[in-house]
Amino acid sequence: MPAYMRTMLKIENLTATVGEEDEAKTIINGLDLEVPAGEVHAIMGPNGAGKSTLSYVLTGRDGYEVTGGSATLNGEDILDMDPEERAAKGLFLSFQYPVEIPGVPVMTFVRAAMNAQRKARGEDEISAPDFIKKSRELGQKLKLDAEMLKRPLNVGFSGGEKKRLEIYQMMMLEPKFLILDETDSGLDIDALKTVSDGVNAMRSPDRGMLVITHYQRLLDHIKPDKVHVLAKGRIIATGGPELAHRLEKEGYDGVLGEVV
Amino acid sequence: MTTALRALISNPNTAELELIARYGMQPEDPRRERLFQAFAQTGLPTRRMEAWKWTDFKAALGALDRPGSQSACDPLASDEALCFRFSPDGFEYPKDLPEGIHLFVKPEPQALGSAEDVPLGALAAALAGSKTRPGTLMIEVTATDLPRLHFAFGGEGEASFARVTIVVRPGAELTVSESYLGGAGFLSSVFEYSLQGDAKMNRTVYQRGADKETMAATALVQLEGESEYTQTSLAFGAKLARLETRLVHKEADAKATMNAAYLVGKGLHADITTHVRHGAQSCVTRQMTKGAVLDGGTGVFQGKFHVPRTAGQYTDADMQHKALLLEEGAVVFAKPELEIYADDVECAHGNTCGALDGDQLFYMRQRGIPERTARALLTEAFIAEALETAGDLKDILRHEASNWLAQS
Repeated sequence: MPAYMRTMLKIENLTATVGEEDEAKTIINGLDLEVPAGEVHAIMGPNGAGKSTLSYVLTGRDGYEVTGGSATLNGEDILDMDPEERAAKGLFLSFQYPVEIPGVPVMTFVRAAMNAQRKARGEDEISAPDFIKKSRELGQKLKLDAEMLKRPLNVGFSGGEKKRLEIYQMMMLEPKFLILDETDSGLDIDALKTVSDGVNAMRSPDRGMLVITHYQRLLDHIKPDKVHVLAKGRIIATGGPELAHRLEKEGYDGVLGEVV
Repeated sequence: MTTALRALISNPNTAELELIARYGMQPEDPRRERLFQAFAQTGLPTRRMEAWKWTDFKAALGALDRPGSQSACDPLASDEALCFRFSPDGFEYPKDLPEGIHLFVKPEPQALGSAEDVPLGALAAALAGSKTRPGTLMIEVTATDLPRLHFAFGGEGEASFARVTIVVRPGAELTVSESYLGGAGFLSSVFEYSLQGDAKMNRTVYQRGADKETMAATALVQLEGESEYTQTSLAFGAKLARLETRLVHKEADAKATMNAAYLVGKGLHADITTHVRHGAQSCVTRQMTKGAVLDGGTGVFQGKFHVPRTAGQYTDADMQHKALLLEEGAVVFAKPELEIYADDVECAHGNTCGALDGDQLFYMRQRGIPERTARALLTEAFIAEALETAGDLKDILRHEASNWLAQS
């Protein structure tokens, strides 16, 4: 079977809660989803549908408890893994709100991440000259100047710069599967184009992507193979790119009212 | 004499009786007597004394014992520095000194200025002298571009006392460092630094110890003229370890920067105590203390700015203390105090205590950095700010902090 027909991410009947035991709220409620290698799938949905929760459950953030179902990446169950193990398996989340890491320069951070992942996979560390060469090339492509990459990660950076740094990290780490959580939020048109170009450059027959977004706008730049609508913790509609346009035109109520 | 002193210390414990015996073996000297009496008024400090309520030497130091071996190698030792080595029974010092450094090795204790407030400083001064060790080591500095003066305290034994007095004359500049490496059951040192005219000094203190050692390093600093004093401490704690600095701005426009970091593991205790008196107008003090403590460790920060009504006018002072509780069971006590009587001053202080940020940890782990490494990187970055002032020794201190984090 060619790589691009292989299912990379497979989620079956997933349920997950957020919060402490007594007040745990079910946010993901019987979700099924399959993303094959080589494809880009978009997840759209209204506020509170569980979009960000899905990205956190898949990447293993504390405070989110899986109460049923399964999620596998390339056939391996990821739900029992620590976040860093999932990262080493090639799972990458581009954060909606990238976190400031004071005192740790961008390049130091990315090199530590890259070498930790390589170590976990039993690979050799990247040499300093190779790392610097790769970083410099990418920096130019993403319009990140060299000084910026020496500053502490995300500290004092604008919203657009933070998102470009997410793409920089993604391209440096070359993950197998990407989750982009609201990557377009806080971006002006030029930054949106730079970021989308970066994401599009990552498209490959060996790589899968899940693009989580509110708006159809991002999908004009990153053309999805499939669009899923997430509401009340489940995928309730799936279609081609045209579904995103319908949602934009008719609103979630219009479309959801029809399919539910 | 000895009997009278015994009566002075209320309910002396074994350690105090041994200290009295040590004093009794010293040749009689009125200056020593005054110093020992200053100590005997309180005896070993206890929690009943406000300034020692979290660092109780009397309780921790039941008797004078040999703890075993020295805890650490000396990261600050260097061929380029002039090294003075103190051990419980010995003292070595460089015989060839460059022009601009004048050394006086005095067998007797010299009179001490403000002993009343620092019982362990008075004790150190009273008991510093012996056949092999000077009662007072006096150093006068009259030049710039001098090699660093390094004072190393190591070697095994029951107790180690030292007293060093350094005067930096107008226009002179000096870099000094002190390493406390453990090995003595009880150590007390007192350094008196006096900066005159527009003298400049950069002092670095490194402390490491084990859970059977108690130590106190006291510095009494006087700033005159437009002198500039910078201090950076890195403490890893011991059964009890106290780094205390008492600084007085004596003349207008003096400037002091006092930073410290403490990293404390299980069974250890590190205490950073500072007292700054703005006794002259328009003086500046900047103070940043950062700490990180593991389960079973204790960190203490006590800082005080005292600004008198007329003398302290136009003071500009800032005190920050920030601590990380790395694990459940970590303990930090903090008491930042501003005592201000002048009405035209800028004084600020901040004090925070908390855990590492969960969002930051998750972000790093999502990128593949294991939790332990993520914690170490975040903690090192947090601590690093306080070590920035250590000049050429900054990287060594940072490396020491980083090693500790990697191993804990």
